[in-house]
Amino acid sequence: MKKIFGYIIAAGILGATSCEKRLDLTDPQAIDATQAFSTDTKVKQVLVGAYAATGGAALFGGDVLWMSELQASDGELNWVGTFPDPRMIWGKSMLTNNSNAYATWARAYSVIYTLNNVLANLGTVVTADKARVEGEAKFLRGLVHFELVKFYSEKPYAAGSTTTLRGIPIVITPRPADPLSTENQLPRNTVEEVYAQIIKDLTDAQTLLPNRNSIYANKPAASLALARVYLQQGKYAEAREAANACITVATANSFSLVSTFAGAFNNGANTTEDLFSMQVNTQTGTNSCFTFFSTTTYGARDGDIEITDKHMAKYVTGDLRRNLFFFEAGAFRCGKWRDQFKNVKVMRLAEAYLTRAECNARLGTSVGDSPENDLHRTRSRAGLARLLAPTLAQILAERELEIAFEGQGAPDAKRLKQTINGLAFDNAKLAFPIPQREMQTNPKLTQNPGYN
Amino acid sequence: MRKLHVFMTGALLLLCSMVFAQKTVTGKVTDTKDGSAMPGVSVKVRGSNVGTSTGNDGTYTILLPKGVNSLVFSYIGYDEQEIDVKGNTAFIALGQATNSLNEVVVTGYGQTKSREITGSISKVKGADVMNMPVPNLTQALQGRTAGVFVESQNGKVGDGIKVRIRGAASISGGNAPLYVVDGVPIVGSLYGSSTADINFNDVESFDILKDASAAAIYGSRASNGVVIITTKRGKAGKTRFNVNAQYGWNEPTNESRGFLNAKEYLDYFYTAADNTAKYHYNRGGNWRGYPSQAAAQTDMKTWIEGRFDRYSGFRPFRGGKDWRPALAGNALVDNDWASQAYQDANVSLIEVSAQGGNDKTKFYISGSTNKQDGILVANGFQRMGGRINLDNEVNNWLKVGVNLALTKTTRNRVPDDNAFSTPMQIVALAPITPTRDSLGVLFNTPVTTYYNPLIDAEQATQKVVAFRNQGKIFADARIFRGLNLHTELGLDLTNQNEDRYWGPRTLAGGGGLNGVARSQWYRSTRWVTNNYLNYLNTFGEKHKIDATVGMSFENLYDEYNYVEGQTFADESFRNLDNVATITDGSGNKTEDNLVSYFARLNYVFDAKILVSLSARIDGSSRFGANNKYGTFPAASVGYILTEEKFMQGIKWLSYLKPRVSYGITGNNAIGLYQARGTYSSSIYANNPGLAISNFEKAGLKWETTAQYDLGLDFGFLNNKITGEIDYYNKKTSDLLFSRPVTGISGTTSLLGNIGEVENKGIEFTINTVNVATKNFRWTTSLNISRNRNKVLKIDGEQQEILSQDARYANALVVGKPIGVFYGVKYAGADPNNGDPLFYKEDGKTTTSNYDEAYNKFEIGDPNPDWFAGVNNTVSWKGLEFSFLFQGVFGNQVQDGAGGFMSASGDWFDNQTRDQLNSWKKVGDITQVPEARINRFGDFASPSISSRYVYDASYVRLKNVTLAYTVPAKVMTRLKLSSARFYVTGVNLLTFTDYPGWDPEVNTDYRAGNINQGSDFYAAPQIKSLVFGLTLGF
Repeated sequence: MKKIFGYIIAAGILGATSCEKRLDLTDPQAIDATQAFSTDTKVKQVLVGAYAATGGAALFGGDVLWMSELQASDGELNWVGTFPDPRMIWGKSMLTNNSNAYATWARAYSVIYTLNNVLANLGTVVTADKARVEGEAKFLRGLVHFELVKFYSEKPYAAGSTTTLRGIPIVITPRPADPLSTENQLPRNTVEEVYAQIIKDLTDAQTLLPNRNSIYANKPAASLALARVYLQQGKYAEAREAANACITVATANSFSLVSTFAGAFNNGANTTEDLFSMQVNTQTGTNSCFTFFSTTTYGARDGDIEITDKHMAKYVTGDLRRNLFFFEAGAFRCGKWRDQFKNVKVMRLAEAYLTRAECNARLGTSVGDSPENDLHRTRSRAGLARLLAPTLAQILAERELEIAFEGQGAPDAKRLKQTINGLAFDNAKLAFPIPQREMQTNPKLTQNPGYN
Repeated sequence: MRKLHVFMTGALLLLCSMVFAQKTVTGKVTDTKDGSAMPGVSVKVRGSNVGTSTGNDGTYTILLPKGVNSLVFSYIGYDEQEIDVKGNTAFIALGQATNSLNEVVVTGYGQTKSREITGSISKVKGADVMNMPVPNLTQALQGRTAGVFVESQNGKVGDGIKVRIRGAASISGGNAPLYVVDGVPIVGSLYGSSTADINFNDVESFDILKDASAAAIYGSRASNGVVIITTKRGKAGKTRFNVNAQYGWNEPTNESRGFLNAKEYLDYFYTAADNTAKYHYNRGGNWRGYPSQAAAQTDMKTWIEGRFDRYSGFRPFRGGKDWRPALAGNALVDNDWASQAYQDANVSLIEVSAQGGNDKTKFYISGSTNKQDGILVANGFQRMGGRINLDNEVNNWLKVGVNLALTKTTRNRVPDDNAFSTPMQIVALAPITPTRDSLGVLFNTPVTTYYNPLIDAEQATQKVVAFRNQGKIFADARIFRGLNLHTELGLDLTNQNEDRYWGPRTLAGGGGLNGVARSQWYRSTRWVTNNYLNYLNTFGEKHKIDATVGMSFENLYDEYNYVEGQTFADESFRNLDNVATITDGSGNKTEDNLVSYFARLNYVFDAKILVSLSARIDGSSRFGANNKYGTFPAASVGYILTEEKFMQGIKWLSYLKPRVSYGITGNNAIGLYQARGTYSSSIYANNPGLAISNFEKAGLKWETTAQYDLGLDFGFLNNKITGEIDYYNKKTSDLLFSRPVTGISGTTSLLGNIGEVENKGIEFTINTVNVATKNFRWTTSLNISRNRNKVLKIDGEQQEILSQDARYANALVVGKPIGVFYGVKYAGADPNNGDPLFYKEDGKTTTSNYDEAYNKFEIGDPNPDWFAGVNNTVSWKGLEFSFLFQGVFGNQVQDGAGGFMSASGDWFDNQTRDQLNSWKKVGDITQVPEARINRFGDFASPSISSRYVYDASYVRLKNVTLAYTVPAKVMTRLKLSSARFYVTGVNLLTFTDYPGWDPEVNTDYRAGNINQGSDFYAAPQIKSLVFGLTLGF
């Protein structure tokens, strides 16, 4: 018996020690980073991952839209929620530790990191898809840099002196494997440099992207993004060309305005009007505009953002767009963001018509179509009569109502040099602070005026 | 021991025992107390497995092998006795334990007598904490030993508890001790502490290994100390049954911190609205464009009254009541919301155990059911379980056994403290809001200021059921005299299920979803085999060797699945089978392997000089390719001075043992697969994608702690006074730290072995027998601990990492304790205008601009300066009274909810009563700024500052027990062997200056190594009172 017992023990110990090999375990839910760009499929999947990251709450999953609207609010909306950080954005009294400001910065550079890796590995992509992949990556990279420069530059482009004005660090090369590398401690580029890079990326994207591309970036979206950039610069001819290119390609590829205004919102899938939107369904994607604009009745928070009479009074009687607002919990609510698990609209075709109309009106031209006709497309859908020979002010008013609360509030207010809460458009309080944590980890950064 | 009477009637019969190869010894064991026979006493031949136990009449017979003439008599709760047998008989009387020197201390892969210990080990007997009405054994240990700090996060029953042995040695890794149950380290769980799955009434002893020399045998997991839990085993003799029942009540330690009533609320917000109008018009830029101050005031009055209408449910909602009468003191509704967060709560326990056996086979079996209602609505805990511990002596060289415990733990959890749906957030609701409308339906937003958490109590469930199987099979084989092989195969298996449901009116299940259900399933399996040889022998007269060498292998495998769905036909359906849409699901697996080799040598010279050396080599799958293996050595020496002749003249000094130890331990408590650079799935619109999930850190390894300990064990007056003093210094280097990096790098932080932290401390324990007569006995045990934690290095560059959270100030600062509060210092309200003032860097000048204030003042420390416990036990005949006071001193708590509930009316949250003392007119000196409601966002809402930091020292009557044991005479007539009635209380009294609910707090949603000492609507602790009865037969 002693022998048998001895054998059992010996076998047991041997068995256990042979388990030493098992110290080399890998995560069953992940692949090694060295494999991530090893095949055509994987590079494309990393690009899909970049869309998912872009659609995160801190970026186009909604924050950059509602933050822009809170910042632009000159009494058109009230933040009544308990979160102090958005309230301070709305009150133009942000602190450097503002968590939303940090989240957006961090998410933006994380997306840029991924996109640069995709662009560096284009060689692995099959030839047939190379242009598309490059175009999508450059589109997203341009778009994300554009959001950064709009929020964090010390003053908007319209303030002038753009060659000395501090923007944000441009990142267009893959980052070192070690995140601690000092190569990551980049200084802020000037606003002019940042805009030049954005235009380069978006122009490339416009060339490379297909006319239609499922839920992913397409040519008309790149054109409209360019138009937005040129508008910030006050380059109306370029903006007009970009908007016109957008419309021309879009309409030739079965994009069109949705027949009703209400039908253009709360969609779980892209409509014919959606040039680019972040996809949300019950399983993936977030829509933080819904979270804050909508109410508990629809599964959101307590109705943190109320629309005031100041905005509601801007609609003339009969404007169907007013009907999309809903009254709940003691205030009007923006119905564009009413329902849960719906896409976040980033670019609608309607905006392109309004941009073309504005630029044509400013330049006294009728490239593509007359401002009157362009304006009438959205007006007629809203149940309004044709405005004959609309003035610039009328076009801008139409633009404000058509794309209200969709994230163009702050950029439009700033380029149009509007006063907000009594603050001039280029007041220091209308720029975000460089996040405290970034200031602590990157000595090359300098803070915006008015923040300590 | 010296008190014992040793009967050596056989001494005269002494012959030359050396002649015989072995001899038979017989005798009888009696109780010193009354001379009665003691059955079931273990009789063992010193240094071997040969042993027997006494029969019902207290007699025994044993074969003594050649060359050995010592017998060891032991019985639980009695002093162990070792005698040299000089003849063929040995009669002996055992006395109840007077001191702990003879206790057996479990050391991990072995055991030693307390007097031969050279490390720092605290022992808590199971009997000392038995029947405490708390769900988790860690709570039962609170206040009982030096150096062990225990803190319950809040009063949610069965949830998170922080245990720190000699301070926090880690910033990013785990700081919890390693728990080892009968040789098997325990696995984790979905929520809370998995130690709650253990019925601690089955526990014989807790041996807490505190210093490196004691703990290093557990290598890469020992830095935070080790708690060895040994369960009860059977003793030979008549089968004895024990039935134990208790019933009692749970209540909050402090029900309310005091909020405004209806009239105060209305008055306060009227004033706040008026102040806001003036502020906005005169100082806020008037961007609203009021033509005059009066116009602003009128508008604000209209606005606030609109809010009152809404919050009172007066218009247009049914069932509300007009709030206006409250202004005159005739409130129609004056809702004390805070009281509705609680429920009537009971505690009950029924337990049956039996133990017994014969020379060959012994058993201990038990079964119990224990129910503890939480004090918060819908919160509860229940544990059912059974245990079998079986030993069989196969023959004279082989002993086999099995331990098997099966428990089912059911928790009804409530949401984390930061959720609107957690019961305690109910205090934010306005006192003018009625609870229910005229149809009896709970009011919700927009009538209630926030979501009404009572809806969750009615319509949501979170039920976590864990089935846990802990056990092992083992064999002890004597290879030759003194050399034993121990081998065991252990398993700890947890199957945990969480079912959640949110009804159509809840926050999570509302909004047209018509209900959401979620099911989580988690299984954790730990297989472990421990195999070691132990050699115990005495050479000559003076050299005693106890050597252990062995290996162990552990495999930990976790599996997790999750499904979520929404939209039910109606409320009668609550399971995923009935949802219209499955909305989410996931599944993953993780695995972790650890292979270890260990050795220990204990050497005792002449029963006075003690030396212990140990080492462990751990190979872990968690670490980087370059650091698979780590070695953890330790050494210690002790010197029992009182064994020396020159000390023996000192009458009052009965025991003195200085000792010193040094060793290296590790901490591997970081996530798995952290060393590798990986990409994982990232889904966009149901399309598969990839995203970087981990940045490569090939050099990643365990944290290393070097600790030395200087100790002195002492006994005075015949060991009526015993105790120990320890000084320790623990320095942890290669600290895992996720240092912040610039977002430009693609990530925001990176884990690395970079930091250093130090814990220095003193522990003092003294046990005294104050009175010991035949009928009256009074003993006292006092323990005092001080630990000073200091961060020595973060990443070599940064000297401080400040809080990024506007509600809390926990920072990491070189030279300061982990989690120190670094932030803005509050200077009270500006006497001129009521603005909040903050200090600038000079500490003298002030500013009302929070961003301009100096944000690096040390405004508090969540780590206590001292903590202590004192336990007294007084017994008189059958009556026993014991009480344990426990205290924590010199720590601060920051109230993260202060910016909501103590915010001088910043928003409509009901305010704490201290806010009534707000600034009202020029010249007012007060800590509370002018009441203003932040309607326009034109001033900063309150962020964290010293305004919300409070001293949280406390002293608490942790446990008090009054018990009566029925005299044996009466019992005999009742045909019972024992009966004990008791009443026991937990947390009955708390003494503190902390203004919140309870000073023992660390809000669950953010509790971590750095994030300590935070309050955020955390429920007060639970106060219990139970009555119980234990019957033995």
